[in-house]
Amino acid sequence: MKSNLHILPSTTDLKIHLQTTDYGNFLNNQTNPLTVSKIDTEMRQKLCREFDYFRNHSLEPLSTFFTYMTCSYMIDNVILLMNGALQKKSVKEILVKCHPLGRFTEMEAVNIAETTSDLFNAVLVETPLAPFFQDCMSENTLDELNIELLRNKLYKSYLEAFYKFCKNHGDVTAEIMCPILEFEADRRAFIITLNSFGTELSKEDRETLYPTCGKLYPEGLRLLAQAEDFDQMKRVAEHYGVYKPLFDAVGGSGGKTLEDVFYEREVQMNVLAFNRQFHYGVFYAYVKLKEQEMRNIVWIAECISQRHRTKINSYIPIL
Amino acid sequence: MAARDVRTELDSLILQLLADLEELEAKRAALNGRVEEGWLSLAQARYAMGVKSVGPLQYASRMEPQVCVCASEAPDGLQNLRVVRAGAQIPEEVGPREAALRRRKGPTKTPEPESTTAPQDPLNWFGILVPHSLRQAQASFRDGLQLAGDIATLQIRISWGQRICFPNFLQ
Repeated sequence: MKSNLHILPSTTDLKIHLQTTDYGNFLNNQTNPLTVSKIDTEMRQKLCREFDYFRNHSLEPLSTFFTYMTCSYMIDNVILLMNGALQKKSVKEILVKCHPLGRFTEMEAVNIAETTSDLFNAVLVETPLAPFFQDCMSENTLDELNIELLRNKLYKSYLEAFYKFCKNHGDVTAEIMCPILEFEADRRAFIITLNSFGTELSKEDRETLYPTCGKLYPEGLRLLAQAEDFDQMKRVAEHYGVYKPLFDAVGGSGGKTLEDVFYEREVQMNVLAFNRQFHYGVFYAYVKLKEQEMRNIVWIAECISQRHRTKINSYIPIL
Repeated sequence: MAARDVRTELDSLILQLLADLEELEAKRAALNGRVEEGWLSLAQARYAMGVKSVGPLQYASRMEPQVCVCASEAPDGLQNLRVVRAGAQIPEEVGPREAALRRRKGPTKTPEPESTTAPQDPLNWFGILVPHSLRQAQASFRDGLQLAGDIATLQIRISWGQRICFPNFLQ
């Protein structure tokens, strides 16, 4: 399917082409002009319907596994609502753009919180996110920096809890999920470090955001916290056989960024999950690969609308 | 003799006009390039951060401008438009029309307290840890703004040149 998308002159043609795939008529209710944002929203809704179908047919402990999967989207929604409150946006406007997989009933009340303790005590204490607040409690007003710190600390706690759940479950699920989550933890450490260069985030604060369930813990994380530029980060990665080739692939003729290289690795690991049987990792891998497909379609749609035909092929193929 | 001087002057004006037109074309192409780069970098930022994380939800409906256009008079009497940071102290230019002498040191004034805080970087609307592509987008759009100011100045000069040159050329 992807090979034909690059010859499409407009996003309406993209819609027609997607009708011949599993996506079917998911864009039929959308009026013209078909924006990239609308395509993304409809794809998310479709994924959410599929996910709900899996979840409705699940028993414990798979149901808990599914709840863990939705937590990352919940964290994103909470941060979206809080940033929106800072910009004085109405709750309704933001709720429409929240990720459907991360919906929870207390969402509408998130914007009233002024500090993290408020947020926990008044809003999130009854939600699945409650256990992840242990390291985040503070009375500081939620400005941009504190919201960013909150996002990363919540995600760190979530990832470590999810990792522990999978490890305790054992069996093939642990064999598949633990390496995937270790990679996710290390990836976050690298990306946080890269994006923190030149910002007001101190090295000490940066270190508190690194998830500790990856291969980099503890030595790699300690070295990464001291890194001041990309080359120093690359030297840390060279100590690890898994990450050295990834960093070597950055740049080059294709102009790949570190994020691209990490997405490719994630796709490889998720595809391999389907080679084993009777484990929960296939559900996780399915959702993550679907997300990559959505990212690819959005990228192609952006290139079409911006008339950058030559860049269309910079997506990550899922083979 | 006088006619030859007029023709020489007309020739130099026309050459200046053509040079300005060439510069205008080049600057327009550069502006288009910067704006396209900026939009592509925004698309790359959306790829890394998520479509809903780089969009209208992240900025307020009312914003304080970070830059403004400053109009001043050039020595040849034409308007010069520059894009400057809002609130920046611009050194005063003494034009040829200023007949009176200026005092080097004005009467001592008590310094006014800073009424406004430093303007916030719009990059922070999207978070503190933003990907490199978003910073690149900001840099591209900033360059584009500078070019826009230069293009406006050039267009003023070209219109003036056209008004002067063509009627005289026909005589």
